Amino acid sequence: MEIIKVNQLNKSFGNNHVLKDISFTVNKGDVMAIIGSSGSGKSTLLRCLIDLEKADSGDIIMEGKPLLKDGVYPSAPEIRTIIMKMGMVFQHFNLFPHLTVRQNLELAPKVVKKEEVVAMNTRAEAYLNKVGLLDRIDAMPSTLSGGEKQRVAIARALMMNPDILLFDEPTSALDPELTGEVLSVMQSLANEHMTMVVVTHEMGFAREVANKVVFMDSGTILEEGTPEDIFIHPKEKRTQAFLSSILRDQKKKAPKKYRLKKYC
Amino acid sequence: MSDFYIYLSNITVPMLQGMVITLSVFAVTIVCSLPLGFMFTLMARSRIAPVKSFAKGYIYVVRGTPLLLQIMFVYFGLPLLPVVGDYLVFERFTAACIAFCMNYAAYFAEIFRGGLLAIDKGQYEAAKVLGLTKIETMTRVVIPQMIRVCLPAISNETITLVKDTALVTVIGVAEILHYAKTSVNRDGDTFAFLVAGALYLLINFVITMVFKKLENKYEF
Repeated sequence: MEIIKVNQLNKSFGNNHVLKDISFTVNKGDVMAIIGSSGSGKSTLLRCLIDLEKADSGDIIMEGKPLLKDGVYPSAPEIRTIIMKMGMVFQHFNLFPHLTVRQNLELAPKVVKKEEVVAMNTRAEAYLNKVGLLDRIDAMPSTLSGGEKQRVAIARALMMNPDILLFDEPTSALDPELTGEVLSVMQSLANEHMTMVVVTHEMGFAREVANKVVFMDSGTILEEGTPEDIFIHPKEKRTQAFLSSILRDQKKKAPKKYRLKKYC
Repeated sequence: MSDFYIYLSNITVPMLQGMVITLSVFAVTIVCSLPLGFMFTLMARSRIAPVKSFAKGYIYVVRGTPLLLQIMFVYFGLPLLPVVGDYLVFERFTAACIAFCMNYAAYFAEIFRGGLLAIDKGQYEAAKVLGLTKIETMTRVVIPQMIRVCLPAISNETITLVKDTALVTVIGVAEILHYAKTSVNRDGDTFAFLVAGALYLLINFVITMVFKKLENKYEF
């Protein structure tokens, strides 16, 4: 079942044409990894999906409802209903620094959904337990490590019961030894068939967790397919060059261990 | 020795009456100018061009002219305006409060602007993707963080405000300095100025303590 359908999407910043006729679909339960070098338009594409950037033309259909139809956006309340079905995790976490971990999780359910306190508390505790941070429930974000912040951010996004989770380079701001704990949480979400679109530089994750990989280059989708298609039999020269350069870089770093058992 | 205490109480008692007026001007100004200032901050960020230029022009004029002049303008100048002048005749105390509120609102507007600039764009984005409306984002996410950033500057401005209230003697409002000057002129002894200074120090001591508490409370 198609849950995201993007058709002929275009976006420019002034003279800079960052997205050129992008089309793709994501099915329910898919984990789609978007890879590519910086400036290829990956993050802009992701931000267009949740209305953090306005596209210029094309269609974005979310669960059958148009977020963008022939370059025209619906009314603000309609947009809000559509994007509330999605959650987003940012590169720089964007936790609310003036609130505790629990308050970060409960702010939106309380304010937006007027959820009942007891049920909300239980859910917050359950999600924190899921990301392995129940003991930090009363901590302020400033006292958490980067990996812990990102796991709180994932739990916060889950509190709104999204049908789709978007990740914008979720591990790029982390120390290398902390990426594993975030990736393992994402892997457990994938195992539960959460639909996810992940912009990432973690080729290991794209290869092992994603079931669909999209390679973007200067604003176009150059190649898309299963991880095997992209990583083992890349057709395009540009894809091969990108992969060999990035894999060479990642080999230099210490090998990463996914600590799956500990957090799931 | 006892003569000294009698003299001290003779000059201090009226000054304490003056202190009530000083504190009243202070309280009215704080209560009105903080929200008014935030309103100007929002207006200066508005997408509606006339609103934006009005707020910016207001801040420019008010910050660019002396407070003393503004106090005299409100009390002596406004009633002389054609047509509306008759409706703009104020009591001394009211005139003083109006001038102070308008002046401090402009300064607070700039302080709040700085506070808003300090808030990361990611905070607005996070609030948006969680489904918060613009108003909810402001009240739940932005303003609490802005207050934290602004507190030291607001504390500074508040202390300045206490001292600036001395300017209202120019339109004859009977506050601390007014009584001090009366004593000095009557007795030919400048000791009353020392007492007045001590009273201002006392007020600012309390204010400093209050802001220290507030800053601890908003620490994160």
